[in-house]
Amino acid sequence: MCEIHARAQFLVDKWKTVIDSAQSPWSWVPSSSASASHNVVDDEGVQGYLSLENVCLFKPCQKERDPNHIEEEEEVEEEAEEYEDGFTDTAMLVQRHDMTLRHYDLHILYSDSYRVPVLFFRAYFTDGSPLSLGDIEKDLPLSHANESSDSKWTFITLEEHPYLNRPWHKLHPCGTSEWMKLLYLGDSSSTDRNRVGVELYLLIWLSVVGPMVGLKVPIKAAKQLIDRS
Amino acid sequence: MASDSSAVRKVVVHLRATGDAPILKQSKFKIDGSEQFAKVIDFLRKQLHKNTLFVYVNSAFSPNPDELVIDLYNSFGFDGKLVVNYASSMAWG
Repeated sequence: MCEIHARAQFLVDKWKTVIDSAQSPWSWVPSSSASASHNVVDDEGVQGYLSLENVCLFKPCQKERDPNHIEEEEEVEEEAEEYEDGFTDTAMLVQRHDMTLRHYDLHILYSDSYRVPVLFFRAYFTDGSPLSLGDIEKDLPLSHANESSDSKWTFITLEEHPYLNRPWHKLHPCGTSEWMKLLYLGDSSSTDRNRVGVELYLLIWLSVVGPMVGLKVPIKAAKQLIDRS
Repeated sequence: MASDSSAVRKVVVHLRATGDAPILKQSKFKIDGSEQFAKVIDFLRKQLHKNTLFVYVNSAFSPNPDELVIDLYNSFGFDGKLVVNYASSMAWG
């Protein structure tokens, strides 16, 4: 059950090669010092978590409904990355992006108690000041009941990040195992479905959890991965 | 497969209940390919009178609501239709 490191590695690789090379990639952060409830240990005793940092979101209160939205978001991200690479003076960012641009750091950890992946995240403005929970809730599709297909299966809690020992927000994993069972194993009422590969577990998980924090798994990439399994 | 431009292309969506979700009287309907997946979700919500719905395609992938139906069809459709699974009554949390 705890092959999360292998799955994580699969996601890391595929995200890089198939999904979007322009987007900042997920990376595996090895760690040995975790509190008991969330450590990631696979058969070889590898511990750590998946990390995707500095995802930029514009204030989505004016979230457009037009199909170009995805492209826009990606552009923003690339733009931000360029700045990050090109300038060390962060003051320039503040001037340009004002308070409308929010940065999200996302970490995927494995919860031993729930036996599922859990998303930890934190959000901050370009100047580094953290967003309040209220701001985050306004930001995320999670609370926009009409925009999210499954807005009520989770909620945000504030918890100590098991590796960083700092308070991070977390999407509570209480419903996760039930809906993962649906997607991953299917249910008995349908016979024509193919069981999906173990490696896809995290990708499938991310297709549900990602949109909660404004991160999309592009459908073409998902299809490629699912077809190959 | 019709070669119409995707702007006017209609997609047949087959809604399939999973778990103990209620089955719809009419499970197949046509939708404009240029519509967002959110419209399918909204339709299901209204039909089932439930706000908490879990909707996914290809038995494995939960699309973002702002994906276009035609894109989903092109990726996950077969037999001329897009199968959309839905589950409603799970007790999340």
